[in-house]
Amino acid sequence: MVVRALALCILMVTTSVFANHGELLIERVNAKFSYTWLALDKTIKAHKYKAAYLQRCDFALNERHYKSDKYRILFFGKYDEMKRMTDKYPELAPFIPLKITVMEEGAHSLIIATPPITLLPLVKTDEDRMTIFRWNEDMKSILDQVRSQYQ
Amino acid sequence: MKLKTLLVALGLPLLSFAGGQEIYSENCEKCHGFSRQGSLGLPLYRSTIANHSDRYLTKTIRYGRPGRIMPAFNLSAAQTAKLIRFLRAGIKAPQYDPTPIVGDADAGKYTYEQYCQRCHGAQLQGGEGTGKNFSWQKDREVSPPALANQGFLHAAEDQMIKRIIMKGIKDTEMMSFEKEFNFTDKMANDLVAYIRSHEKPIEQHLKSTTSEEPLVFVYESANDLGVTVDKLRDSAAAYNFRVYPSRTLFEGLGGIAGDDEKQVVIRFCNFKNMQKFLKLDPRLGVILPCRVTAVEDKSGQVKVYLENYMHAVERFNNEQISIDAKELINNMKEMVEEAVW
Repeated sequence: MVVRALALCILMVTTSVFANHGELLIERVNAKFSYTWLALDKTIKAHKYKAAYLQRCDFALNERHYKSDKYRILFFGKYDEMKRMTDKYPELAPFIPLKITVMEEGAHSLIIATPPITLLPLVKTDEDRMTIFRWNEDMKSILDQVRSQYQ
Repeated sequence: MKLKTLLVALGLPLLSFAGGQEIYSENCEKCHGFSRQGSLGLPLYRSTIANHSDRYLTKTIRYGRPGRIMPAFNLSAAQTAKLIRFLRAGIKAPQYDPTPIVGDADAGKYTYEQYCQRCHGAQLQGGEGTGKNFSWQKDREVSPPALANQGFLHAAEDQMIKRIIMKGIKDTEMMSFEKEFNFTDKMANDLVAYIRSHEKPIEQHLKSTTSEEPLVFVYESANDLGVTVDKLRDSAAAYNFRVYPSRTLFEGLGGIAGDDEKQVVIRFCNFKNMQKFLKLDPRLGVILPCRVTAVEDKSGQVKVYLENYMHAVERFNNEQISIDAKELINNMKEMVEEAVW
């Protein structure tokens, strides 16, 4: 138990020291949009999150001279912990549920997300910081696993 | 023993055993593409890399291009060397004399306006949008670089700039001005002096401009939740946003609780702005759609939460979008202020 707690603390410290919080999380997937979308949906479920809804942002992009009209955002979360967090910190509401953007680029897709760790200034206890930190690790893991499915 | 194993395991990723290709895959291919063909970032063709010294590439990796998407990378000297070796793919690194070129910047300005401004912009700000993106059609295959960018000026040697002006870059739109327009040595020197006159200390450009601003704007509504939501929707429409059906905060996440309906998300979008911003940066989706969240607390007080999108926009490292987004965000603040009045 002590070792586990220590490990998490060290991970938090190393992440905060070495990660560049200012940057978006991006992965390039060697697959067309539809495959990436399916992989993302499955990977989110595998991480025990629930996909809440999708937002299409591709209305008439083709007609407006875009080469791709595949541009969607997937919102996802875990009800219990997100409910607990927003009850305690309503300022988190604009960032809930979490989301990942998927866009097609030629034969590849890009999956992009804002790192949840940027929400750390909004929470006050170590337990809640740990929750935000875990969201961040889950987000990175989801993006990485989607990418690695089509290497 | 357990602790020792754990510390070793945690320390291992900090040591770099990765080769150049792995470092490229980890850090660069997201933007420059699997085959270095370019995407959010410029193409890294061998013919382009052939013009760049190790010093230029090292500084480019270290400082990035402030305001032009390319971030600064915190790679070790060994990692940087491996990455550069991989990018060179056997091509010999050019050596440039570091002595600054002396020229007449005023004469260079005239030459710039005649020959360079059309592509690189009147303020040397470069082309619109990102490096080379497949997501939209543009009049140019590759967005011309920003010559006044401090990351570029800090990295580039005068002799490198002069060589590119005179010889051009193979496989790109940058032609040889010596061949095509009979540029003389003096014309090139003057032009380099003019470009160099835009250099400032790079540290000024690496500071965050939004770090002191709140992450979220919070407004207290004078009305109950239903009226507040209606007024927010009306206000969004009046500010030329298309308003989507409202959702409760956790809709779709599977939970059912009595007070969930007291957290309502109002989503809206101005398509014209969205498409304009998508052209500047296709990563815009991370802040879409625009939204405000109205929450009624246990005492019946309604508060409205609006994300300060400037923090998200700053993560794009895209000066054009930062400037344009400011006005949009101010509009959204006014829109909410009107609704909660």
